[in-house]
Amino acid sequence: MPRWLRLAVVVAIAALVVVLILAFRREPTDVRTGTVGRPAAAFTLQQLDGSGPLTFGPTDGKVVVLNFFASWCIPCKQENPALVRAYERYRASDVVFIGILYQDSLESGQRYVRDNGVTWPTVNDDRGRVAFSYGVFGIPETFFIGADGIIAGRHTGPIDETTLTNAIECLRGKSADGARCIREGGR
Amino acid sequence: MTRSRGILVVAMLVVLAAVGWSARPHEPSAEERVDRITAELRCVVCQGLSVKDSPSESARQMREIVAQRVTEGRTDEEIRDEFRASYGDWVVLAPPIASWTGLIWLVPVAALVAGIAVAWRRLGAAAAAPPAATADEVAALRRRVARAEADDE
Amino acid sequence: MTFADLGTAALRAALPLAIWGCAAAAYAAARRDGRGLASARWSALLVFVLIGLAVVAMEGALITHDFSVLYVARNNALDTPVFFTVISLWAALEGSILLWTVILAGATAYVAWRGTGELPRLGTTALAVLLGMVTFFLFLVTTPAADPFVRIDPPADGNGPNPLLQNHPLMALHPPLLYLGYVLFSVPFAYAIASLVLGEGGDRWLVATRRFALVSWALLGVGIVAGSWWSYAVLGWGGYWAWDPVENAAIMPWLVATAYLHSVMVEEKRRLLRTWNLSLVIATFALTILGTFLTRSGVVNSVHAFTQSAIGPLLLGYFVAIVVLSVGLLLWRLPRLADTGGIGAPLSREAIFLFQNVVFVAATLTVLLGTLYPLIVEALSGAQLSIGRPYFDRVEVPLALALLFLMGVGPQLPWHGASRATLERQFTAPVVAAAFGAVLAVAVGMRGPFAVLTYALAAFVAATVVQEFARGVRARRVLHDETALTALGSLLRRNGRRYGGYIVHLGIVVAAVAIATSESGTIQVEKTLAPGSDAMLRAGGYDIQLVGLRPVSEPQRELVVADLVVSGERAEARLAPALVFYPNATQAIGSPGIAARPHDDIYTILVAYDSRSYSWATIRVRVIPLVSWLWIGGLIVGIGAVVAALPQPRRRSAARAGIQTRAPAEG
Repeated sequence: MPRWLRLAVVVAIAALVVVLILAFRREPTDVRTGTVGRPAAAFTLQQLDGSGPLTFGPTDGKVVVLNFFASWCIPCKQENPALVRAYERYRASDVVFIGILYQDSLESGQRYVRDNGVTWPTVNDDRGRVAFSYGVFGIPETFFIGADGIIAGRHTGPIDETTLTNAIECLRGKSADGARCIREGGR
Repeated sequence: MTRSRGILVVAMLVVLAAVGWSARPHEPSAEERVDRITAELRCVVCQGLSVKDSPSESARQMREIVAQRVTEGRTDEEIRDEFRASYGDWVVLAPPIASWTGLIWLVPVAALVAGIAVAWRRLGAAAAAPPAATADEVAALRRRVARAEADDE
Repeated sequence: MTFADLGTAALRAALPLAIWGCAAAAYAAARRDGRGLASARWSALLVFVLIGLAVVAMEGALITHDFSVLYVARNNALDTPVFFTVISLWAALEGSILLWTVILAGATAYVAWRGTGELPRLGTTALAVLLGMVTFFLFLVTTPAADPFVRIDPPADGNGPNPLLQNHPLMALHPPLLYLGYVLFSVPFAYAIASLVLGEGGDRWLVATRRFALVSWALLGVGIVAGSWWSYAVLGWGGYWAWDPVENAAIMPWLVATAYLHSVMVEEKRRLLRTWNLSLVIATFALTILGTFLTRSGVVNSVHAFTQSAIGPLLLGYFVAIVVLSVGLLLWRLPRLADTGGIGAPLSREAIFLFQNVVFVAATLTVLLGTLYPLIVEALSGAQLSIGRPYFDRVEVPLALALLFLMGVGPQLPWHGASRATLERQFTAPVVAAAFGAVLAVAVGMRGPFAVLTYALAAFVAATVVQEFARGVRARRVLHDETALTALGSLLRRNGRRYGGYIVHLGIVVAAVAIATSESGTIQVEKTLAPGSDAMLRAGGYDIQLVGLRPVSEPQRELVVADLVVSGERAEARLAPALVFYPNATQAIGSPGIAARPHDDIYTILVAYDSRSYSWATIRVRVIPLVSWLWIGGLIVGIGAVVAALPQPRRRSAARAGIQTRAPAEG
């Protein structure tokens, strides 16, 4: 066995072990999406309350919270009270909340909205195109869009009130750097 | 013997011709293109299945998007880029060859080349330097081999 | 005393006993001490009995639904059927580690009573190594990381098994097969280590563990096929192999072990490749541990990955210890292992085995790096990427074809080298068969060069096997005046290793054809139908009609079943794919309806349905040609391995004894 081969074997094994140790710091289910840090995509979708289409375009300097949900999604129901409280708090201000129904029937979505006290605008993403353009993996997922129209962060899994208000307050700050306001992740 | 050699050559040519014929280029249909592209995209709610293989709702919607883009006349690369813009490099099940992450494509080639080189040296070494064994050892080895082979037949 | 108390006590008692046995065996090996060996033997046996008792206790706790045991509460419920209750032993981490431990202890007890008699010093050292491993696993199951008997305040009812694991009886089959395969390879490994420790360069350890290696390889192989059958019948996407990390973890040691089973013949016949064979044994064993680590620690995401637990660092530590110790030993002993002599002609059996080994190792490295690559890239740059089927298929298929080719060539070449006349005699018929195979592939409409090449090579290999059998039978008929059937029987009986090997090759050929045909010829159609309507879904010459869509209630689960009627020229079948809802799962599990026939499978999936009024359902149909032959191929491989592993009549054992007398006297 030549010397270089012996050395190569030892180095390869050492590298393997280092990689495996580093792998412990990793959460395999925590996958980042591709849209954070990029301009939020515009969309036009029918509203659940039947009042016609809602167009979300280039934000005119408002902070936006996009929440993807469905009636079949149990963690969505869990996080809903936090969303309701946060919406009540910012109702009068210029923060925009939009709920986006994901992979669900219109009727079930309407019933969910009625039963759970969702009063912010909700729309039906019936073909999954908007979820795709935002890079949604599985719901619930909440996207925060800064005044500059850039997606500042994405929260996966049920969100709590503190995370919501902290992110919104931070994004409303005058010279906020969106990326500092909310980290990507959750669950 | 020449007759059997002739048969051998003809048979090998037949194999080559059949393989060559099956590899002839043809223009893929739209559906084949959708299959090919979705086979390379990762279903976002599955455990490593492709959009093509997964029966999930999410994969169905993505397949629809790909089919629509194909009819719109986008290239494979444009469609993949659109998915990458949404879900990052994670969504592609094999890294492109022309990127640093494409190094992974070199692994099998490098392993084969290195392995064959080492093996070939073993073969060559034998030819160049006959085993430095005593006559007794060689005789013992011969007996052993003969016995083992007799054993085999 | 409850079952859990009994299990805990048995495991706690086994641990010190295993440590004692390990020390006694090491002492006995070093000092050639008979009393030490006796002590180690009895400890090994007792450890096995105690761990067996713990397994019985776990089954007792499961069957009596003793929810005061956390494992039972998590993996069982009052209405879980008895069958799934029994096999829940391997439904989650702690139980499967317990199963692993008991198999290892069983192998250890076998070595203690049989192995140490055949080769006292080598066997005793190997016993010490094995008892060391048993100690590690006993340590695992007595720490909170993997203690199967952790007690809790009993809930009224348990969670029930993981839905995927209670959906199909095949779950009973593949995990124990795979574990047996993984664990039995500990024996060749322990002997290899013993031979390194003792500095015995001879091939006695090979002979002593040949059968273990073969059986372990065969169980692993059959387990892999059974596992893909399970995934085909349960996971509901219509495929059997997804290059999932767990699949990769199982195939890697199998690939290396296959290389080993061949190169070991070179060492036996020609006393070459000693270092190489030791390396292969070590690599195989290390890969079984690495695979277990990867899939049980939660560092990669997989269908099978159990929840993250403290067991990860422990398994990693074990892996590192195994690798460092064995590679260190190997490097230390290198000077003694140098081969005398070279391989010789490139057209000799040993040279083909060498090339075959290179391809196997390259294939393994590719799977390993492909599996780890996302981890490596994320560690280096933070980028997240995926390595999946497109990569593995593109890379492994050409390697597999190269192996198929070498599988036909190798056995046809004599040791030392072949003359041109031999080549012509051996290869004319197989190459002609390859031509027919290629033409057949084109005629039946196989798409793509790889599929056509698979047919050609499969015909090539099959012809070599048939040729070998024909020649063997003819020789016996002439020499011993036997009938063809008797001659075949005595070939298999008297030279099972060789002819069993050919049967294995035939099984691989069958599997290769099944894989190539099913991959290249699958037809998939998806359509939304209304139950009872005349609308048809057409796929591959079959008409599929949705006659009903109904909810079904069972004690432990709810189902929505689509009743399908399949009609076509060659078939009339009723299928019932379903979506299954388990109380502890948020997502429905798809349960496919499959009509398995020799020429193709009709694989139906209920993709979506109208949950309000059951007025429509989306059905996906896959018509998959020849896929059943993959399972049959696996079975043939198993049969061939049994033929090869069966003890052979006297003639061979006399020859083996002859080899041993020529080996240096022990000590």
